Amino acid sequence: MATRVLNGHARSQAPGEVATFVRHLDYLLFAAAGGLVAYGLWVLSAVTRNDVAGDADYYVVRQGINVGLGVVALVALTAVNPELYRRLRRPLYGLLIALLAIVFVADAVRGSQRWIDIGFFRFQPSELGKLILIVCIAGFLADRSRRLEEWRTVLSAVGLGAFAAFLVFIEPDFGTALMYVGALAAALFIAGVPWSRLAALGVTAGAAAITLLWVFPTAGIDILKPYQVQRLTGFLNPDLDPSGTTYNATQSITAVGSGGLNGRGVAGATQTNLNYLPEHATDFIFSSLAEQRGFLGASILLLLYALIVWRGIKIIAVAPSLFTAVVAASIVFVLVTQIFVNIGMTIGIAPVTGIPLPFVSYGGSSMLVSLMMVGLLQAIHVRGRLAGRS
Amino acid sequence: MAIRIGILGVIAVALFCALFFRLWALQVISGERYLQDARNNQIRPYRVQAPRGTILDKDGEVLVSNQPGTQVQIWPAAFKELSKAERNAEISELASLLRLKPKDIRKELRSHADDPLTPVTIKTSVRDDKVNYLYEHQADFPGVEIQPVQLRSYEGGRIAPQLLGYVSEITREQLESRTKDGYAAGDRIGQTGLEATYDRYLRGIAGEGQVRVDALGRVTSDREYSQLPQPGYSVRLTIDADLQRAAEDALAYGIRLAIENDEFYADGGAIVAMDPSDGAILAMASSPSYDPKTFVGNVSRKELNALRAPEANLPQLNRAVSGIYPPGSTFKPVTALAALQEKMLDPYEPIQCDPSITVDGQKFVNWDPYTNMAMNLAPAIERSCDTYFYRVGLRFYERKDSPLQKWARRMGFGSLTGIDVGPEEEGLMPTPAWRRRHFTTEIDKIWTSGDSVQLAIGQGDLLTTPLQMTRFYALLANGGKLVEPHLVRQIEEPKADGQAPVIVRPIRPKPPRDLNLDPNALRIVQEGLFDATHGVNGTSASIFGPFAVDIAGKTGTAEKFQKLPGYGSIGGRLLDQSWWCGYGPTEKPTIAVCALIENGGHGGTAAAPAAMKLFAKYFDVTETPVVPVNSD
Repeated sequence: MATRVLNGHARSQAPGEVATFVRHLDYLLFAAAGGLVAYGLWVLSAVTRNDVAGDADYYVVRQGINVGLGVVALVALTAVNPELYRRLRRPLYGLLIALLAIVFVADAVRGSQRWIDIGFFRFQPSELGKLILIVCIAGFLADRSRRLEEWRTVLSAVGLGAFAAFLVFIEPDFGTALMYVGALAAALFIAGVPWSRLAALGVTAGAAAITLLWVFPTAGIDILKPYQVQRLTGFLNPDLDPSGTTYNATQSITAVGSGGLNGRGVAGATQTNLNYLPEHATDFIFSSLAEQRGFLGASILLLLYALIVWRGIKIIAVAPSLFTAVVAASIVFVLVTQIFVNIGMTIGIAPVTGIPLPFVSYGGSSMLVSLMMVGLLQAIHVRGRLAGRS
Repeated sequence: MAIRIGILGVIAVALFCALFFRLWALQVISGERYLQDARNNQIRPYRVQAPRGTILDKDGEVLVSNQPGTQVQIWPAAFKELSKAERNAEISELASLLRLKPKDIRKELRSHADDPLTPVTIKTSVRDDKVNYLYEHQADFPGVEIQPVQLRSYEGGRIAPQLLGYVSEITREQLESRTKDGYAAGDRIGQTGLEATYDRYLRGIAGEGQVRVDALGRVTSDREYSQLPQPGYSVRLTIDADLQRAAEDALAYGIRLAIENDEFYADGGAIVAMDPSDGAILAMASSPSYDPKTFVGNVSRKELNALRAPEANLPQLNRAVSGIYPPGSTFKPVTALAALQEKMLDPYEPIQCDPSITVDGQKFVNWDPYTNMAMNLAPAIERSCDTYFYRVGLRFYERKDSPLQKWARRMGFGSLTGIDVGPEEEGLMPTPAWRRRHFTTEIDKIWTSGDSVQLAIGQGDLLTTPLQMTRFYALLANGGKLVEPHLVRQIEEPKADGQAPVIVRPIRPKPPRDLNLDPNALRIVQEGLFDATHGVNGTSASIFGPFAVDIAGKTGTAEKFQKLPGYGSIGGRLLDQSWWCGYGPTEKPTIAVCALIENGGHGGTAAAPAAMKLFAKYFDVTETPVVPVNSD
């Protein structure tokens, strides 16, 4: 490459740059993401085989289209220099708030206002919002990197995140709101906010959670809807009400457990086939996977996730700037939390919140944003490696 | 920052470890327990047949209702979970308990192999002691279920089985073509007769829902209906049960008379009574008959084979609508009306009635060799003179446009009547065109004078059903209107005791079609028919002459080639089919009747007395003592 630059003409520089760019992509990250998408499609096709009478491939065909859209977005985000978002962080934040507000205008879908209907597909803005919030907060913190110990900076960042999270929370989509808070926490942490500030924030957040989940309900003040409180705390004692609020969790645990080491196969997975797992294409897809393919099949998925997370953490380290490092860290942390909360909910170690499993759950918004995250990580990786080289 | 990245990594690793360990604990360490839970946690969809609607006679007498029964079923999905040895053991144990052959159970299961979620019924109508045994030993019979079932109960006894039809489990072919109408595997569906025609009203709406069962198939939850079963509607017939019984008795009586009169092959027949004003069927009997209970519960192969054996003479055939016969002299009024309408015959023109005529070298004889005089139309009908009608037939032969067949078609011959019970035969109205189409040799393709001569007296290739003949005599009775025969008055929803049923749908047949016949022509034919039952030379005057109500009608003795044993390569011989058709009271007819006794000999011997017996019941008058006479 270097030789070509040296003795080549100016015209040949562009393809040369592209080649350098392409060579510095993180292929392990691609392999992990590609593996996850492929594995996810395979799982989805097996899980939804009997869902639409007469069209066994209904879900998997549509999910394939989602993947196609996602790949386009991934390529686009890889190509664009992430520093652009830092400059655009104010308009982007405005866009985020507008997107989150717009769902209140749109019709309510399934009793909660999470979707925007744009003709050919229904889009969930809070999913995309996750990514926008990450770059906005990272941008804000990077701009004030020298004043991170000031409460003013910390609280402003918290305010930006908390306002967006609040909008999502009142949709209501508690799970995604939680992801927003997670992204915020990761950003503050990696940006370098002093430990004392972080500790103070942590204590406050803990107190708020206890107040919300225990003190207020006991006192008869319902900020969370009662079913939400029950779903969030129900996993702590699932046998309390097995046919009621914890029904899904109990059935899911039974499904996962019954998979054993090798799984029960597609035809033998009665929990899935008899619809004991209602949302088995989306939120509870992991339960179906674990029932059909057992511990071995579930482990393959977990290892692919671990691979992606490991690459993500490497990318935080090679990031060319504080801004990109914070973005990468937030993405990694959001992914980890989302994986943990979703899978944890199916096996009874996390509350039941309706968040999808990245790369696997059926749904356009989730697939799109998951692949966009990979694109953003790639963009950071390439620029970090190129900067490191020069 | 490196430290913080490290901490983030540690958190990630910790969370992944937590997931791995929890999964390991759930799936590998406690997997067996959860597998057991999952197996005990199965939902079975189920479908409960709605109580089938009752079938009532015109006054509300119950002819068919329901009785509770029990059936033993196997759930293929649950059954498949067992090992082969367990399955075999269970099948042989079930077989010996229920007195079935293990082979038959396997066959039944195999035939439903593609539908594991619908239970396979292996025995219906199981005795209580066996049901109790199965309940007590349910753990020994995984996948076996005991289901209540509604079975048909024939309150009317053996009344009109061919008409009512029977009900049985839906067949695979029916399922394929009727799934869109809401039928599902395992449904019981009307297979023949009215049960088939009115199945969509009678069957009601099956209940659907789901129930949770454990791994052994034991029900562990209440039934949750997504659709409650809704009983079927009742079907109210136009049939009068008492008259129907009388019709069946009359048929048996006619056959007995025929045999007493040395017509030893007499072995079946049909009788139809119709309201001439609208085509409502008042009675419709077919002989031989059978016990409809044969099809209730377990259909015994032995009984079924006996029913379908050739020597049983097709007891399931409804001869009134599906039996086709040459009508013989009962057809003469058709010939007469057609000739009068076409102005080819003057009713007062004397035509010779001699013992025989020869047409194109072929000799045609009169049934009565002793008459030799000229007569006009009414006496020719009274005496049923064949040679008179042969000569009329020759006039039709002169015409190239087949006017007799055209009029006969208009009067409902050669096509379906549209009655709401089937399968209906349309018979055969032979024409020159039909001959050309139907036959292969040049000589057979030609319509000869003999064909016209034979057709004029209802012979030759002509074939009619007893129902078509009844409808024609109803037309004579009602002044020239063709009615649509029908058996059902209305569909109704039964109400609690004492309350009148709600009419869901009245059945409106097509309005009678007026053929605009010449009233004079009609009147002369009616006179001829009255003379036939009252004149000194009337063919059934000995039976209807003394009868308390004025009846008009015509005998028929139709030759039909019957396959008979002992006739070698010829295979059989011509046998006389005994017919009588007519109506009464002549002034204002309220009933038209046709009786047919297969191989019963002369019309006056068997069919006319049978019809008389039905009239006697209908008008509630005494029967005429029958002196058998030989008359056409």
